[in-house]
Amino acid sequence: MNSKIKKIEYYLPENILTNIQLEKEFAGWSAKKIETKTGIKERHIVKDNETAFDLGFEAAKKGLANYDKEKIDFVLFCTQSTEYYLPSSACILQDKLGLRTDIGAFDYNLGCSGFIYGLAMAKSFIQSGIANNILLITSETYTKHIHAKDKSNRTIFGDGAAATIIEESEQNGIFDFSLGTNGSGYKNLIVPNGGLRKRYDYNAQEIDDGSGSIRTANNLYMNGPEIFNFTIDVVPKVVSNVLEKNNTTLDEIDYVIFHQANKYIIEYLRKKIKIAKDKFYINMLHTGNTVSATIPIALRDCLDDKIIKEDDKILIVGFGVGYSWGGTIIEI
Amino acid sequence: MTIDGLIEELKEIFELEDVELTEATNLKDLEEYDSLSVLSIIAMIDENFGKRLSSKDLQSITTVKSLMELIGMDSFE
Repeated sequence: MNSKIKKIEYYLPENILTNIQLEKEFAGWSAKKIETKTGIKERHIVKDNETAFDLGFEAAKKGLANYDKEKIDFVLFCTQSTEYYLPSSACILQDKLGLRTDIGAFDYNLGCSGFIYGLAMAKSFIQSGIANNILLITSETYTKHIHAKDKSNRTIFGDGAAATIIEESEQNGIFDFSLGTNGSGYKNLIVPNGGLRKRYDYNAQEIDDGSGSIRTANNLYMNGPEIFNFTIDVVPKVVSNVLEKNNTTLDEIDYVIFHQANKYIIEYLRKKIKIAKDKFYINMLHTGNTVSATIPIALRDCLDDKIIKEDDKILIVGFGVGYSWGGTIIEI
Repeated sequence: MTIDGLIEELKEIFELEDVELTEATNLKDLEEYDSLSVLSIIAMIDENFGKRLSSKDLQSITTVKSLMELIGMDSFE
């Protein structure tokens, strides 16, 4: 049985952090430079009492509007900003969304590759007859983990959630995948404290990274150079693996959407892989890097702006924290 | 690439139009040295020298000369 993406909707929190605000907070940080280099002008940020669960719930409500929610028979919820250690947010969402109780639901913990893995699971659940209509929610609030004085990460990341409905279909709309993992890089994008290995430390020391950003071990840490090196190594290979697995070439692909990490990085990857500029998406102007939500947000915007249309072959690739990566080709 | 070519690339990264940049300039003293310019250095070295700088390499860099040594002096025309 084939599968296809039926709907995509997203939700961004109301609060906005602009480059101008960042420029005021951090001496020497220029609003214009941020926009030129990262492609980000503003990002949406959750309030203190707002969580990834809330964003996911709002996105799911939008996704289920004008949709017979009785049809949903599986919920996948992807976040690294979980509501509770237990239970799974997906279980609470089943109830809050008023979904059937004879359905499967669970959370999974992935970042920038999360949407790709969600599609891979949805496709295989449908193929194997486990489910027919799957609600995939990718929701992230990295700003919860970021230190207030961390100039670099506050610049890059924004919060957001997307809800994607994947249905059983006669036509194949989700092609073969290339997935990958290299846990040797796990320390390069991490929130060290707060789990059970290293508990949250109320007396954590501030660490100055030497280029104007401060954090503690309770906060998100990203080794920018190593993450960039990882993407340079891995992304060209994923692209060629996905093309090879699906017996196709870049020329036959109508449009390419990478995880919107930051403009500088993905533009560099585009040039390195030799993807034509007119079929490559770069837009994180109003969202920043929303981690597992960037690809579905990009897909929704591309559909709205008629950048992509029905039956276009779209190559999508996610890569980041883990390290974890994956890619596939879809037709919407 | 020539040494002058490298210096031109660095001037572009650090947006130094009228400021002199020499082999003795300490890159970390430049006002524009930040997490974004570091990514630009990685990309520039990868593109022009096919060499990848690790975060440790980047930490060890001080002057333009030290960057040249890291790339390898025999890489320059």
